[in-house]
Amino acid sequence: MSQTRDTITLLSQKLDAAARSTLAYAKKQGADRAKVSASCSIEKRLVVENKEFTLANTLESQKVGLGVHKDQKKGSASINNADERGLQQSVDDALALAKFSVADEFLVMPNASEAPKAKILPFMWTDRVTEISLGEIQEFTQAMLGRLTKDKRVAIDRLEVSTSCMWHGLYNSLGMHQTESQTSLSWSFMGMAVDGKEVSGFDYEGRSVYSWDLALDIAVKQCDEFSEKIVKNLRPGKGPSYKGPVLLSPRAVEEILLGTILYHASGGSVMDGKSQWGDKVGEQVVSKLIHISDDPHNSRFSGATSFDGDGLPTAPRILVKNGVLISHLHDCYTAKHCKTTSTATSGGPFSLVCAPGTTDLLKMMNARNELLVVDRFSGNIDPIKGDFSGVAKSSRLYKNGLDHGGVAETMIAGNLFDTLKNILSVSTVSEDISGAMQMPWMLVDGVSVSGS
Amino acid sequence: MAFKDILQHLVQRNSGYLELRWHKRISNSFLATKGRVDIANHSVTEGVGVRALIDGAWGFAATSDVSEAAIKRAIEQANANASLLAKARGFRHVELRKGKLSTQDFIGEGFAELQGMSIADKLGKVIELERNLATSSPRIHTARARYTEYLEEKAIVTSDGARCSMKIAQPEVSLSAIAEKDGQRATGGRGAGVSGGWSCLFRHPTLGNVIDDIAKTTIDLLDAKYPEGGRKKCILAPAVVGLLCHEAIGHTVEADFVKAGSIAAGKIGEDVASPLVTMADTGNESIAGYAVGNLPFDDEGVETENTIIIKDGKLASYLHNRESAAEFGVNPTGNARAWLFSDEPLIRMRNTYIVPGKSKLVDMISEIDDGYLIEGAGSGQADSNGEFMFGCSHVWEIKKGKKVNMLREATLSGIAFDVLKTVDAVSSEFQWDLGTGHCGKGQPAKVDAGGPYIRCEINIGGRQS
Repeated sequence: MSQTRDTITLLSQKLDAAARSTLAYAKKQGADRAKVSASCSIEKRLVVENKEFTLANTLESQKVGLGVHKDQKKGSASINNADERGLQQSVDDALALAKFSVADEFLVMPNASEAPKAKILPFMWTDRVTEISLGEIQEFTQAMLGRLTKDKRVAIDRLEVSTSCMWHGLYNSLGMHQTESQTSLSWSFMGMAVDGKEVSGFDYEGRSVYSWDLALDIAVKQCDEFSEKIVKNLRPGKGPSYKGPVLLSPRAVEEILLGTILYHASGGSVMDGKSQWGDKVGEQVVSKLIHISDDPHNSRFSGATSFDGDGLPTAPRILVKNGVLISHLHDCYTAKHCKTTSTATSGGPFSLVCAPGTTDLLKMMNARNELLVVDRFSGNIDPIKGDFSGVAKSSRLYKNGLDHGGVAETMIAGNLFDTLKNILSVSTVSEDISGAMQMPWMLVDGVSVSGS
Repeated sequence: MAFKDILQHLVQRNSGYLELRWHKRISNSFLATKGRVDIANHSVTEGVGVRALIDGAWGFAATSDVSEAAIKRAIEQANANASLLAKARGFRHVELRKGKLSTQDFIGEGFAELQGMSIADKLGKVIELERNLATSSPRIHTARARYTEYLEEKAIVTSDGARCSMKIAQPEVSLSAIAEKDGQRATGGRGAGVSGGWSCLFRHPTLGNVIDDIAKTTIDLLDAKYPEGGRKKCILAPAVVGLLCHEAIGHTVEADFVKAGSIAAGKIGEDVASPLVTMADTGNESIAGYAVGNLPFDDEGVETENTIIIKDGKLASYLHNRESAAEFGVNPTGNARAWLFSDEPLIRMRNTYIVPGKSKLVDMISEIDDGYLIEGAGSGQADSNGEFMFGCSHVWEIKKGKKVNMLREATLSGIAFDVLKTVDAVSSEFQWDLGTGHCGKGQPAKVDAGGPYIRCEINIGGRQS
């Protein structure tokens, strides 16, 4: 066994005991219900700035958070160690907050039968990651750096590679008890292209994987794609001005469309009367071309988890099918408020997948004689009114299906409720976004484009 | 024994350069909405961060166990990490510029007041604010009040002479509302954050008449039209000036970004703005007395200063830590900041602003025939090439020298230095107005920004027909 694994095992045993004694103390102090979330992790990290290694870092951390309910009022507290006296003080602090809070009849915690033990997701822990040394991380980082800076015009402001081994336990005073362990190898980098006095826009990428196997292949491919993209963004031209279709990259789909869909599907928005889709389950709310599901058990995504923030076992779930809203996303609290059952998505959704469509990407790029292809979006989205406006970053102009170069200072604006109904086509290809979700390209209509 | 003395004792036993930083943060967060209390949380985070420099290479380690034995282990780990890096191919050989290392023990205004105040009073005020906003008009569909306070205690000791401690308080409050009429909805809000106590927070000019102002603006937005897109003569309000200073200029002059090739690289001494523009980043502001980024020293123990970034339109300085200062051959500016004990210090801003000028807002408006007064600053992002985008919840149309209609949802964009070159008036009125929320650069940081009203030409995103 590796030293890291041994240490995590010891820390988790200590935290497990601390969590149980904290629940007992909370009960003794008069809490009607209590919940403890405990975690520990060991992280090793290397930092590169401007092509040079600048920092080697190791960190062992612990955190204990607790929530209490007393007379249907709630309070919470957290500390970053498992010290018994500190935890008892946290219970007292949380109860003091609850005393001055407002009574809420819907406060709830699941009991052991409502939250049975979740099945472990075996892919989330690999012993090999626990054995990775800082020296190996350095070699991995060096390989990434070599690929990123193969083209001398690429300036990498910061590159970080880290391993993390962590344990997480969730307990409540009604007998719910879940634990999960996870290893991960993560990287992130940000940079731009510089050619003489020309500076491209800034861009970033990142990814997290559970296993060492294939990690370098994935990282190197991502580095190559990143370098090629930012160099192409040097010397951008003038953007077009029109109202009509724009092609959104998978990342732009996530940045522009997804947040609004999730806002109106969220149990919290439904509960507060802020959702436009509060009574729309079973009805078409977006284009028939959209299918979205949440797959918390998918090993491809970094958000995988066997239980949600309430301790309920998670499961794959369809959110939107053929544009029809299949389900809202509820935790135990919002579910009780809305007189329904939890969808085990407290803290979620966890790993969203928007299904690919049937249209060839090249055909989508030829949708208009002048077409803005949006790679990223930097701007404001008002999910309540649906208005969005901002800059199309790293974006390109296509003329009659051919790449006519990057564009600068091009703004896009529109209304998402209209846009979500005006989806002209969805690509047959889809891409992973930072290892967290999967999205296709989408051609959407009715967008105002303002070039410089 | 005070933490500073424990750290001093441990530093003396180490052979190379060592930086020990003890940090304890107590935070209280409350969120009230719809008559509920959704968040009532008390959090304590404490630990020691250790940075060691061996043969020119940095090593970092941190521990949440603040016993002497645990800190010693963290020192050993940081030394081991530095030694490993020193053997790596392509590591940066670091030298440090000493600067003015602090030896003060600082207790900020308002720390004792906030520490001594009861939770009942603080939480009660948040519940009351939400209730008052919710009941201010039948048109208000949802109100929300959020309060967060940080009580920060730090001790920093370095092997080359920093030996300092501080206690500072950073409370902030923000209010927002959703108004509804005939199925249409609009959102609005305001907030303020300070480095100071409870009374200092609620004296912030942004919070004057806050309930009525939020309600009125949000309800008026229900019927507001969108602005017309294009390049316009505009007056930017202090919050928008702050966004411009922080996002579009400030990040490009952080020395680590400069080294990576930001648009500000190699431009010291060059004209980057109108001669009316002088811009600075300060750790001890004295213009208004409430900026949230006030710090006596940074996380390397360097005393903070008022760093002039642009002087009369010419780029004058970048923002430095000790390492970049050595590389650029200048003094450190006190901009090294770490969010938690477990974070290494990065170059970050503090309070970034344009120095007030001599014009009056009323005169600046009267001289515009067709333009906008840009208020309601929302989120903003900027790029390494100086391209920025700011969202604003509302703007005022100016026609023939008069403020006429309020319009909704404006997005501003441009190249920061190009916009600053068009500035033709700077007001004497001044306000810090970005004290809520955090700046993100790998780690969060509490910063402030603001300034006078400035008049310039800028692109407004509109709707094409």
